[in-house]
Amino acid sequence: MRYIIGALVMMAVMFTVNVAFAATAEPGEYLDRRVEIWNLFFRMMVVAITIGAVVSGTIIWLIWRFRESHPNAKPTKYEGTDW
Amino acid sequence: MVLELHKPRPIWQIMFSTHHTDVGLLYLIMSLGFLFLGGALALAIRAELFFPGSQIIADSMTFNRMFTVHGTTLIFLFILPSASAVGNYFVPIMVRYKDMAYPKLNAIAFWMIPPGGALIWLGFADFTWYATPPYSIISAPGPAADMWIFGLKILGVSSILGAINFVVTIMKCKHPDMSLGQVPLLAWSFLSSSLIILVALPTFAAALLMLLTDRLGVSGFFNPAMGGDPIAYAHLFWFTFHPEVYVLVIPAIGMMYEIIPRFSRKPIFSHASGLAAFIILAIVGFSSWAHHMYATGMSFTEKTVFMVGTLAAVPASAMHVFNFLATMWGGRIRFSTPMMWAVGGIALFFSAGAGGVVNSAMPLDFVTHDSYWVVGHFHLFVMGTIAFGTIGYVYYMFPYVTGRMYHEVLGKIHFVLAMIGTVMVFFTQHVLGLYGMPRRIYDYPPIPEWIAMNQIATVGAMLIGISMAIWLGNMIYSSAKGPEANMEDPFGLGGRYYYPHTQKNPHH
Repeated sequence: MRYIIGALVMMAVMFTVNVAFAATAEPGEYLDRRVEIWNLFFRMMVVAITIGAVVSGTIIWLIWRFRESHPNAKPTKYEGTDW
Repeated sequence: MVLELHKPRPIWQIMFSTHHTDVGLLYLIMSLGFLFLGGALALAIRAELFFPGSQIIADSMTFNRMFTVHGTTLIFLFILPSASAVGNYFVPIMVRYKDMAYPKLNAIAFWMIPPGGALIWLGFADFTWYATPPYSIISAPGPAADMWIFGLKILGVSSILGAINFVVTIMKCKHPDMSLGQVPLLAWSFLSSSLIILVALPTFAAALLMLLTDRLGVSGFFNPAMGGDPIAYAHLFWFTFHPEVYVLVIPAIGMMYEIIPRFSRKPIFSHASGLAAFIILAIVGFSSWAHHMYATGMSFTEKTVFMVGTLAAVPASAMHVFNFLATMWGGRIRFSTPMMWAVGGIALFFSAGAGGVVNSAMPLDFVTHDSYWVVGHFHLFVMGTIAFGTIGYVYYMFPYVTGRMYHEVLGKIHFVLAMIGTVMVFFTQHVLGLYGMPRRIYDYPPIPEWIAMNQIATVGAMLIGISMAIWLGNMIYSSAKGPEANMEDPFGLGGRYYYPHTQKNPHH
């Protein structure tokens, strides 16, 4: 999963880098680097916040579901042993 | 002074002992002392920034001195020694050896820290924990700057001696029946961080000598007026101190590897993946130092290499996070104080890492470089991950060290206040950086958004300060008057307390 995310991040970054380089290769093209950078920032923040929401949600659910006071909590098979 | 319930001893016996638990106790007490000193400076800095203009600190030079000593103290005199405290206590026990490999060297490594700390605090240098050249070599006032350099030199030697001891203890003194792969992950964290220290730190040791000779005027390595280059110092510094970030964070993750299975009442999900992640982090930590220097005129190729090198740490860090989550899955988790700190540390570790990934993209780095974003990102690691893991482990080892139990409710209040405070300070600082506020400034223009966010951060810092005062009171009171701990199972988890308390303080 993380490799896929890493690859997506790299693709987003390389896209912007390519655009920035294209500006020097084609002097007639107008490019607002500030806009490009902020676009990249917003794209990466969407990725980061999406992943963050999934992981944070998982942590919160784990805390709620597997707390020892949960009605469905059962002793693990390791309890009482020298694991 | 009595910290052990059953075998009270005078303090001098502990001070002049070379036994690993005694040296560990000395490390622990000293590092916590420096935590409160460095934390007090942080509160003063935040109070100063509550409003624009001068508030409680007389001038910008004093402000610079305060954040220089704050950073230096908390990195070199709190985080590193507190990790050494845990390592000294538990690494020999985990590898089933009677002590550290070189007990006297161990005590020497500890006793180098007080003079190093004294030099830093008595000098009170003003050139940031980075010792920014060429300012540090041309006009930083002495003897403060020279005392800082000598202080860091001593602390560096201490770190190297400690690292040698950990490596030899784990590699050569582990029980013959125990393979290296069977060594617990906490001990593995000390092995990998010690190996990083041995490779990385000599570079900074050389840079410090060059800095000193530059200051004395006999060389000009980093002095542009003499043909030198301050950027060369940046390379030498970050070659040591980016890997050093992993030296700081890896033991804290190792501590979480002890706490989370114990309180989830099941073994760690994957010992092998945790071990592999430590090794990967120790290696890729050396491939990312120049991401601190994108703004110094590096070529596009260099920047790309270091960006990819930085992102290489992401999978290994994610392996740790998923290992923790998978361990908790299916457990019966008791949220005692150590577990709350560990889980909070995981959440903030992930947040800090996400910010780091964004920051390592070179176009974005130009936006955030030298802004409060960097302050927020870095502190989310050192406070949110490293200090959280360490504090959780101090609670965890409290019965082992003292034979008594701390006050559980106060421990939980400590955690809740610190968690809220940490989010208020360091998440806000990320946004503050995006609004353009530079780091390391004494005063700022009265921009309404800057004022509001600085005030949120300052209130958060005060919450952390209050929580730490509660902790200090809890530790002191409980170590003297707390209820006697059930040493077989102090946290009531139904298993055994991992560490055989009968090994405590055998005559050495």
